[in-house]
Amino acid sequence: MRYMFHSFRMLMKSAMQYRSSLLMQVIAQVVLTGGELLAVTVLLSRFHVVGHWQAMEIMFFFGVMQSSFALTELFGRGVAAFQGFVGRGEFDSLLLRPRPLLLQVVCSQLDPRRVGSCAVGVAAIVIAASRLEIAWTVGKVLLLAEVVLCSMLLTLGLFMIEATMCFFSVKSIEMVNVLTYGGRSTCQYPVDIFPKPLELLFTYLAPFALCMHWPVAWVLGQPMTALSPGWYFVTPLAGLVFFLLMTRVWYWGVRRYRSTGT
Amino acid sequence: MAFIEAKGLSKVYVRYNAPRTGGISRLWKRERQEIPALTDANFTIDRGELVGLIGPNGAGKSTTVKLLTGILTPTGGTCTVDGRTPWENRREHVRRLGAVFGQRTQLWWDVPIRDSFLLLRDIYGLEEKRWQRRLDGLVDALELEGFLNAPLRQLSLGQRMRAELCGSLLHEPQLLFLDEPTIGLDAVSKLKLRAFLREENERGGTTILLTTHDMEDMLALCSRVMVLGHGRLLYDGALDALLQRYDTVHTLRVTYDGGADVSALTAAAQVTRDGDAFILTYEPATLPTSTLLPMVLYAGRVREMTLKEQNVDELIARMYREMKL
Repeated sequence: MRYMFHSFRMLMKSAMQYRSSLLMQVIAQVVLTGGELLAVTVLLSRFHVVGHWQAMEIMFFFGVMQSSFALTELFGRGVAAFQGFVGRGEFDSLLLRPRPLLLQVVCSQLDPRRVGSCAVGVAAIVIAASRLEIAWTVGKVLLLAEVVLCSMLLTLGLFMIEATMCFFSVKSIEMVNVLTYGGRSTCQYPVDIFPKPLELLFTYLAPFALCMHWPVAWVLGQPMTALSPGWYFVTPLAGLVFFLLMTRVWYWGVRRYRSTGT
Repeated sequence: MAFIEAKGLSKVYVRYNAPRTGGISRLWKRERQEIPALTDANFTIDRGELVGLIGPNGAGKSTTVKLLTGILTPTGGTCTVDGRTPWENRREHVRRLGAVFGQRTQLWWDVPIRDSFLLLRDIYGLEEKRWQRRLDGLVDALELEGFLNAPLRQLSLGQRMRAELCGSLLHEPQLLFLDEPTIGLDAVSKLKLRAFLREENERGGTTILLTTHDMEDMLALCSRVMVLGHGRLLYDGALDALLQRYDTVHTLRVTYDGGADVSALTAAAQVTRDGDAFILTYEPATLPTSTLLPMVLYAGRVREMTLKEQNVDELIARMYREMKL
């Protein structure tokens, strides 16, 4: 923990060396994500409802997705940019240090400009929540935290697909991006407005629905499924499971890397 | 038991290439190509030794280092370092290991090097007091105090290398790997670095494995060398003995006042002219210098005379040639 904390603090310090550049990039991120938010708002001002969802509810989903994705990009930069890391041979130096490899990868990089997107995401949640009449309970707040955390793990897990593939020098990154960035763009809307195949894809394969939409829908008082409330605390764990699974696969890739050295 | 013990250590890389011939099937067919990087290496290294690892590029030096550090798993053979197998139980192994790769930094680029050292303290879980004492000692020995607060990117190459060394030694490793530590350094920095390494090896008792192309490093530091070529260990022993084996040709350059009768010399050695000077090339093994010298003096009035041994680089080049590397 101390190692992780110190790593991040140092990476922040590194980033601060280029303060104005960082500031510009954060602003760029705000504009970029804000633009997306604007697009959603414009869309909703025309149609008011998408499926059975009202404008502000959609905004809430958007906020949860953007903020959890941005947080993953912020802290999971090392995993997302892992390919270049291996390419430059820097991975070898991690193998020479007595700490768990994945932890080292995560601690190796930070992407502070994502603070911008994250802020927009949080703003969307706050705006939406203030307009909606949600009966907040402690449980719901905790659930929302769990949702964000598990969605982060899920996204990190998706990034890890790419991080594993680079051990095999396979360049099918585009396919993976469908799940990661495609997942972000798609799943900022509740998954039940999409055609069945897409809904199934993001429910069971890259389970954004389990992690995010089902519990959030329940928080909003519009459950997507007929589960009893307790279950909404369980389904986000799909993100954790997905992440653990990908960790195993990644370590398997590491073993291969060490035996082939490519 | 020896500190490092390798038995039949081998590594074969497998590469898949697209075949050059054969119609459409070329698109999916892959030819399996096995590249032996290290074949059947046997050696032992004792605690406290300073061993040089030399060989031309692609000889298997870095594969050997990667196997000993546990970065790679071998395809055959066994190896233990301090009783442990490097590629099993990675974390226990690397805790006692330091490494400096001349071309690649292990520290953080944009932060003061003091912060890098702090983070290394956390990474290795070092006790605060012990770390501080060690850091003070290293900062002193490597003359780092002036730029502890400067980020790595602002340091000169020599300063950076010293910082790297400091970082790799903070956790008091038993075994230190150095890859081209003096590359690109000026003469003064090189000498200082060598002195430091000798000190660290002798007083600190750190076992050091050094790969370098700089023969001066070898001469200054290593009493023992291992020569690798085509993935095989070709020589393992004293550096002096190795050099003597290839130091078979000497050159004597002599200039005479007035005329000289070099006919006797021409019969004994190979004589060429360089302006006024005669250059005599001979093999001390068959024609001892003590026999040649009187002949040289007899031939005329010597104005100037210099005896040259081959320089180490030439020797090594010759060795590679003769070993067909």
